[in-house]
Amino acid sequence: MLRLWPLRQVAKVQNVLGGLTQIATKSTQPAPAPELVEVFIDDKQVFVEPGTTVLQACAVAGVEIPRFCYHDRLSIAGNCRMCLVEVERSPKPVASCAMPVMKGMKVKTDSPMTRKAREGVMEFLLMNHPLDCPICDQGGECDLQDQSMAFGSDRSRFTDNAFTGKRAVEDKNIGPLIKTIMTRCIQCTRCIRFASEIAGVDDLGTSGRGTDMQVGTYVEKMFKSELSGNVIDLCPVGALTSKPYAFTARPWEIRKVESIDVMDAVGSNIVVGMRTNEVMRVLPRVNEDINEEWISDKTRFAYDGLKRQRLTTPFINVDGQLVPTDWETAFVKVAEKVKKVDPKLIAGVAGSTADAEAMVCLKDMINRLGGELLCTEDSFPLNRSGIDFRSNYIFNTTIGGIEQADVVLLIGTNPRLEAPLINARIRKTWIHSEVCVGVLGAPVDLSYEYQYLGDSFIVLKDLAAGTHPMCKALASANKPMIILGTDCLQGTENGVIYNAVKDIAERLRKNLKHKDWKIFNLLQKNASQVGALDLGYQPGVSGLKALQAELIFLLGADAGTVSKDKINPSSSVIYIGHHGDYGAQIADVVLPAAAYTEKDAIYVNTEGRVQLARQAVNPPGMARHDWKIIRALSEILGVALPYDKLADVRARLGEISPTFDQPGQVNESGFEAQAYQLQTEIKDPIVNVNTAISPTMLKLKDFYMTDPISRASLTMAKCIQACKESEKNPYSKQEAKA
Amino acid sequence: MATNRLVQQGVKQVKPLLSLDRTEARRRVLNLYKAWYRQIPYTVNAFYIPVTVKQGREKLRELFMKNKHVTDIRAIDMLVIKGQMDLVETANIWKQRNHVMMFFKDTVNPKPTDFLSKFYEGND
Repeated sequence: MLRLWPLRQVAKVQNVLGGLTQIATKSTQPAPAPELVEVFIDDKQVFVEPGTTVLQACAVAGVEIPRFCYHDRLSIAGNCRMCLVEVERSPKPVASCAMPVMKGMKVKTDSPMTRKAREGVMEFLLMNHPLDCPICDQGGECDLQDQSMAFGSDRSRFTDNAFTGKRAVEDKNIGPLIKTIMTRCIQCTRCIRFASEIAGVDDLGTSGRGTDMQVGTYVEKMFKSELSGNVIDLCPVGALTSKPYAFTARPWEIRKVESIDVMDAVGSNIVVGMRTNEVMRVLPRVNEDINEEWISDKTRFAYDGLKRQRLTTPFINVDGQLVPTDWETAFVKVAEKVKKVDPKLIAGVAGSTADAEAMVCLKDMINRLGGELLCTEDSFPLNRSGIDFRSNYIFNTTIGGIEQADVVLLIGTNPRLEAPLINARIRKTWIHSEVCVGVLGAPVDLSYEYQYLGDSFIVLKDLAAGTHPMCKALASANKPMIILGTDCLQGTENGVIYNAVKDIAERLRKNLKHKDWKIFNLLQKNASQVGALDLGYQPGVSGLKALQAELIFLLGADAGTVSKDKINPSSSVIYIGHHGDYGAQIADVVLPAAAYTEKDAIYVNTEGRVQLARQAVNPPGMARHDWKIIRALSEILGVALPYDKLADVRARLGEISPTFDQPGQVNESGFEAQAYQLQTEIKDPIVNVNTAISPTMLKLKDFYMTDPISRASLTMAKCIQACKESEKNPYSKQEAKA
Repeated sequence: MATNRLVQQGVKQVKPLLSLDRTEARRRVLNLYKAWYRQIPYTVNAFYIPVTVKQGREKLRELFMKNKHVTDIRAIDMLVIKGQMDLVETANIWKQRNHVMMFFKDTVNPKPTDFLSKFYEGND
């Protein structure tokens, strides 16, 4: 295997702070464009950059070379030999995935020699591959199946004269998500390379040689990664398949709906596999700007939570008991409560998975009734121009932009668990460039080396004042990045912390060489947060207490931030949401709504990218789409909203912010200087300077259950259990540094 | 030239379908009514539908009275032709029970049109 990068990293780690100053001395001029190399693919002339492989050159010419071990995003192994092609004046066929092009090279991709080589490889592979396609979960989407049909021979010379049987390998137990049938393994080593390169977990490897070669974890332990599910997609055969999906559906029965994930604020692009009005599985969809082709395990496996703990009928609270009822009764009950209270004391709270359409409808309805307070569950300081400027609360650099950064400072965040795909991007940058990462927060395992700065507020003060050694590195960086987590902004000191971070960013911005580079980034945790703030929601529920709200509408607010005792014991709660979670428990009226796979909805990710989720299945039982519930309720309350169709609501969204009319795009934010100038002094500065600035999610077991869907998921519960067990395993890696 | 043609078209005598005047059309309608009236006991029996002969005849009268405003002879004729076809299909039992019961659309709820009723219905 070609794995040169770890050596380079080892050298780098040794002089993290010392090496920081080198960055500035590096030339900013890109190397001149090299001359293109002329190659002939099946006598077709193509020009490619020197250093590209024959396989890539063939792709440019429009010829797809069969392969098992080669993968675009992984290092080159060259061990499956399926990509053998004939090159003129070469005595043997060459492995095209590992062979760089040479000038005037003549490649024959369909010559008798090439075909014979492929047939031979195929014959060897199938000699020891079980013929269990009918009971294999990969059947129908198996590379080995497809390629044996396309390139294999119609018969094998293999006859088991001595009746010794085919090679058999013991199955490994690597956790509750991945099912292994190692007899099917063809040793392409994609999973091993993924684990060590992308996921940063060196758990998988090979042992033995030749026929005895096995892929595994050496000692039995869990494949402990938040991205582990991706090896299922990578596996070209059925050796690694999904445990929850096992034996449930076939790919040709499944209808694929392109959608958006809401488990975190990254907004990973997904394909929802649907059959018989059920979500059968969730797979990633390629989007180079966001998730490339990976998704986190929560995104992939939490779908079984969509079938459990669901609200399928409206409920009203009768003497402390939630009693199922019909829509009319529930609406009348809500109307009674609205009649009773002062309209000014009506408020709304949007939860983590609320979509933009529902949020705008709720806001318009409450405003029409006379209420003004609409807020989200996640808090954010309102000093220093607060949410008036978009650049204050979005991930300005963009996820793709991380790859250009040379110094990354993480403050109060654990991106590995809060946004696994953003962490994967930082790791990718760390592997491919000389990026230096500093962490102010908890000493968690981020899957890459970083300079730990501590977790106290004093360090942040030093950074803001410019006296910390890290400041030198930041100042000399061409493209520095600061990523601020939202966990440290939930307390009362959030304004001071936020101000200090803004001070760092502003000082860097003034001396920035690339004027259009964005330094400050806020890493949101909730899929709804940026959309809510775009629509004018107030961050944090502190306003509810100040207002002494009498009637509170919860739009899927299940984080437990709203409780009657804290706000106003006499208040009523109307819950609109899809799961019987915290919000439904405290509600007086429960209106069942749709989950993210059951509605056409708009979500705005942490970059401020507006994305469309598509409906895959119908809402269960009497549940309805969120915005329709609010629209119908508004008619009962006598303040009918003028939207009858989804298009009307979307037009309203576009009126509020034009970004909603541009799905898939990121609009560059501006006015950083103005946002900074509008600083307000904090009246009550932080008292306790020893306050820890640390994220709440520290270990992998904290990652799996964060929202009502994943909390209802059996698979996620199993993951947490497996994580806890693996902590007892002496061979398992310690997650947090002491 | 063009106006000439328009005028010609305006005064052109339309071709009759069956009847030449209102009396003839009326006779055809009455004949069809009588034929249906006599057929109803056999229909009720043969299709084994939950309808009495009296109810059937009331429905017959209702359906005929539904078109009482039609004065155009050709339109009347066309309705008679359709009614005749229906009668033949019924008499020959080319229809099935549900086709006959479709004359009595009492159980069919009209589709909701406004937002709120569509919401309660749940199919939108």
